[in-house]
Formats: sequence, C-alpha cells, structure tokens
Amino acid sequence: MQRDLGSFPLPPGLKVRLTGGGFQTAEDLKDVRASGLSKELGISREEALEILQVVKRESSGKETPGSGALPCTRRYTALELLEREQALGSIITFCCTLDEILGGGVPIAKITEICGAPGVGKTQLSIQLVVDAQIPECFGGLDGESVYIDTEGSFIVDRVVDVAEAAVQHCHLIASSSHDEEQQMAVQTFSVSSILSHIYYFRCHDYVELLAQVHLLADFLAEHPKVRVVVIDSIAFPFRHGFEDLSLRTRLLNGLAQQLIGMANDYKVAVVLTNQMTTRFGQGQSKMVPALGESWGHAATLRLILHWEGKLRFASLYKSPSQREATVPYQITSHGFRDIQPPGPFSSSPVTENPRKRPRAEEQEEQH
Amino acid sequence: FQLPARVHVPGLSSALGRSPNTLVAVRRVLLAQYSPFPSNGADVYEEVLGSTAILSTGNKNLDKLLDSGLYTGELTEFVGAPGSGKTQVCLSLAVNISCELKQKVVYVDSTGGLSASRLLELIQSQVDSAEQQTDALQRIEVVRVFDVYGMLDVLQDLRTSFTQQVGERERGVKMYFPLGVGVWPIVLGSQVKGERMAIMMQLARALKTMARELGVAVVVTNGVVQDMGGGVKPALGRSWSYVPNARVLLQREAEMGSLQETKRSATVLKSSRQVTELHITGSGTLENQTATDALDNT
Repeated sequence: MQRDLGSFPLPPGLKVRLTGGGFQTAEDLKDVRASGLSKELGISREEALEILQVVKRESSGKETPGSGALPCTRRYTALELLEREQALGSIITFCCTLDEILGGGVPIAKITEICGAPGVGKTQLSIQLVVDAQIPECFGGLDGESVYIDTEGSFIVDRVVDVAEAAVQHCHLIASSSHDEEQQMAVQTFSVSSILSHIYYFRCHDYVELLAQVHLLADFLAEHPKVRVVVIDSIAFPFRHGFEDLSLRTRLLNGLAQQLIGMANDYKVAVVLTNQMTTRFGQGQSKMVPALGESWGHAATLRLILHWEGKLRFASLYKSPSQREATVPYQITSHGFRDIQPPGPFSSSPVTENPRKRPRAEEQEEQH
Repeated sequence: FQLPARVHVPGLSSALGRSPNTLVAVRRVLLAQYSPFPSNGADVYEEVLGSTAILSTGNKNLDKLLDSGLYTGELTEFVGAPGSGKTQVCLSLAVNISCELKQKVVYVDSTGGLSASRLLELIQSQVDSAEQQTDALQRIEVVRVFDVYGMLDVLQDLRTSFTQQVGERERGVKMYFPLGVGVWPIVLGSQVKGERMAIMMQLARALKTMARELGVAVVVTNGVVQDMGGGVKPALGRSWSYVPNARVLLQREAEMGSLQETKRSATVLKSSRQVTELHITGSGTLENQTATDALDNT
C-alpha cells in the first residue's frame, strides 16, 4: 500500500497534520492505533479514528475486490459494456426522425440537454418523454415511471393529459389491430390515470430547493426502481438570476452535473435537462448560444438544440458521443411532439400563420 | 526523518554523545541514498529508445501534429468546447490502439460520454470478422467514476494491478493505457477552492507518475471556459497547464444548424518535442482534419 495519504478523502486540515507528523503513505498508518495517532499529531481521538477508518476502508476495498468496493469503480471490458448498453434501451419521442438522429430515442444512463428559445417546444418534448417512458414493454416502451422536477412552473397537467391520451389511444390502436394477447393485457392497465399517477412531480422554486431535491433524488430513485426518466425543466431558470458570485454558480452547477451523471449511471435513468438560450456578442455579431456559460456545455452528454427556421421548427443534435450531428424538422400537435407530415394529397399544412404560436393542427395520424 | 542536510552537526553530536565524524559519515550515507543517481545523456537516450513507443493515433494529420503519435510516458491533453470532438478523438484512439496495435486500453469515463455502440461502430469500420471485433472490444476496459476521489482510487488500483501483471508476464510485452480521462469536471465539482488545487495537483502527480512508471501513454480531456476577452481558454487554470506534455485544442468551424459537414480543426497549444517550432509560435498550427476515419461516422 504505497498510496499517498493526500489522495484520501480527508479534510485538508488533517492532511496537513499527517504530513507534518511524517506520515506519507497508507503503509505508514498500517500498524498505528487511534490513541497513538491522536497523541502524536495533537488531534482529537475522533479525528484520529476517522483517519484510520477512511484509510482502512479505501485500502481494504481494493485488496478484496467486490466486497467493499463501490459498484461504479468496477472495471468492465467494452464488450460487457456493449451488452449492458444494448439491454438498456432508450425512450422514444414519437417523432421518427428525431428518434433516428438520436439513435433510437433519448438514451438511458446519459444526460440529455434540450436547449431552445422560449416557445419552441422544450417543455412539450419533456412532457412527451415523461409519458413515453411509461409505454408498456410489449409496445416497445420501457414500462417505467417518471420524475419531473419543475423549476419554472410550466408543467401543465391538462397538456400531459392530452399527450397521455394520444399515447394510450395509439397503443389501443396497435393492440386492436394485432390481436396479440400480451398487448391486450397491457392495454387494459395502460390508461391516462395510470400514466399520471406514475409521474412524480416536484416543484422547486429556487436553486437551493433544486440542489436539495437532487441530493435526495438518489434515495428516491432507490425506492422507486422503475423510474426511467428524470426531467429537470429548466436547469437554467434558477441559476440565471440572483448570483453575484459567478464562480459559485459554476461550482454548484458542476457539482450538480456530477451528481446527476452518477445517478443516471447507477439507477439507469435518462436525465433530461432543459436549458434556455442567451445572446453572445463577439466580433461584431451576436448569436444565440445555450445559457449557463461555456463550462456548463460539457455537463450534458447529448445536446439537442431546438430552433425556428422561418415557420418550421427544427431539432439539431449538436453533441453526441455516438451519433453524427443532424438537423430534423418536427412539429407540435395537440397530441404532442410529432414528425412533420410529408406533403401528401390530403395533408394540411402543419404550419400556422404565426410562428410564435404553437401549431394546433388537428391531425389524427399516428406515427409509431 | 527530516532532511539530514539541515542538521547542525556539533549540536547534534553533543546531544547524542557521538563524535561529529560519525554523524558526518551518517549524513553522507543518507544524502547519497536520497539524491538521484547521476546518469549520462547517452544512457538516458538509450533507455528512452528502449522504453518509449509512439502510438499512432490512426489519423495522419493528428499524428503529424503530435510528431507521429502519442508517446508512452507522456501526458497528452485534448482541450475543446462542448461538441468539438474530444470524446470522439478518445474513442477513435482507443479503437485504433485496440484494433491496429492489439494493445490494451483502459478508458476512464468521468462524464458518461462513452458509448459502447459507438465503439463497436468504429471497430466495425476497421475489422470485419466478428471474432476480431469481440477481441478488440475485450481489449478495451472501461471504468466509470464520477468524483475525484474515486478517480484517484482507480488510478491507484491501475498502478497496483499493472505492476502485478508485469511481474507475471515476460518482459518485452507492453501494454498501453491511454486514459480518456475527463479530468476537469471532476475537479471543478469539488468544494473548497484551496482543496481543489491540492486535489488537482495530486491527480496530476498520479497521472504523471503512472505514465512514467508504467510506460503508458496517458490521454486526458479538458474543457474550455470563457476568457475575459470573450474568447475561450482551457479550463483548470494556469497551474494545470504545466501538467500535460502536449496539449491539443480541438475546434469546430461551421455554424450550428447548417446541414453541411462540420469542419473540425486541431491546434497544438503546447508540445515539448514538435520539431517544427515555427508552427507553434503565434496563433499555433492549424491543420484541417479532413481525414474522415477519425471523427466522422461511417
């Protein structure tokens, strides 16, 4: 055990004492007793005990792998990882083209960030995802539950009902046309009320509440192992105002991102964050960039930017570890987030007169 | 014990009741033991030739930029804005080393950005048979850690397990671990400012000693933060900038939303061996990475 004592999670004050006392590696502490250590370093017995416990726990976890070691520090070969990854699946969005560029939908165990101007459909996509995560397995869904953390107050239950109704209807349609027994069974219990009762909604008013909630989220996810998606709508809102110390904001945000990715990995949930856009001036021109600064951009594994182009809405995949960048059009109907219909003989134009208003074209098509 | 060089000989001799000569002798022995052994340049050169390997990155332009590839025993850092292709570079490095050079790779994933299906996709573009693909996948080991102490744990772990393995194998068999370590998000996440610095240096030392002792090439990624002037600079500040031996900045050129191919470029910010010094001065070398095999989907 030649490990340097500085690399153990100990308070800095104690580290200084240890180095001052001539203890440098974990081996030096091997046969030391707590009383001896406290006397030698002039620290309290409790502190000495803490040091010894930390060092012992960390080093014993290594000598007998699997016993005390944390699950996340296990080493996998890429092959094992591939199998695990394939078993995870992803959450479909009900928009074929978007699913395609995402590689099958919003991936589990990753952080996906949705950025966009106001009214472009960030919340709509979030709502769509919390509903879609609950689609029964026999319909190609994940049969999961959802967590929705609302910081803006934009979670409209009526809208969720609309989207859920469309999803239920869609599954009923499939079940009635296929005569598959399993699907018939599943469709019996898959209803709007069951969807609503499996969305766990948290309303956080400021960043303190949000941080507290995220801290508790790990326990919540352990109690509700079926949760497959955690939506935070939006991450930007509580962090964009009221911060005098910007470095504090960066630190909090980085800590938050770290917690979220840890949770996404441990509990196999997809974390979806929405972010606002901001204007950046540079070299005489200004452009729209996602808010919260440059360093936040690294936090999410996938970044999806929703934007307007003329009267059409487009989703651009800006960053992804596995898929190439792409831009696809989409629309928001009364049923939720949908593909743009190819101009057919009787399809009405999905574009409304005013691009700032959500198109409310009453199309009855089913995409999946 | 404290530095023997600082001990006052007469004082100590009277305190211990030993003759000053004995103490001087003791001090000489201790000093000799603790001072580094001088080695001449020719020997060092020989040793370096014998122990250093240069791992090709699989991309001609990038190789050229790094003076023919990744050097073992050194720390190479890729810096870039979100979506500039850091993870893709790491993934294709891992695949190239696993497929072409048939060496082991340890990939430490601290951002959750590793996607095994993407690895498979890259491997499939290099080798055809399913058996070889499986082999290549098995040569890549992945560790996921999301906090800095976990990272230090893992590095320590790697060091011990690696030294054991070397003992078992006959000499001459080498294994290289490029580490796709996203160092900085972890470090930034830790709480106290003073502690952050200490931990950062701890990590830097762990990575450096590992690279040197085990003779592996270490690759880390780093993000960028906003500069005072409105531009961007690598994260983690100045003290970290001394750590990597080579530093490459990745940038994307095209505007977001455009449908045509996004161009990416790599610039060397720091390198201790790039012969073509001229390239590094000023704004740095700018080479267009047109080679599609490293950064593009197939």
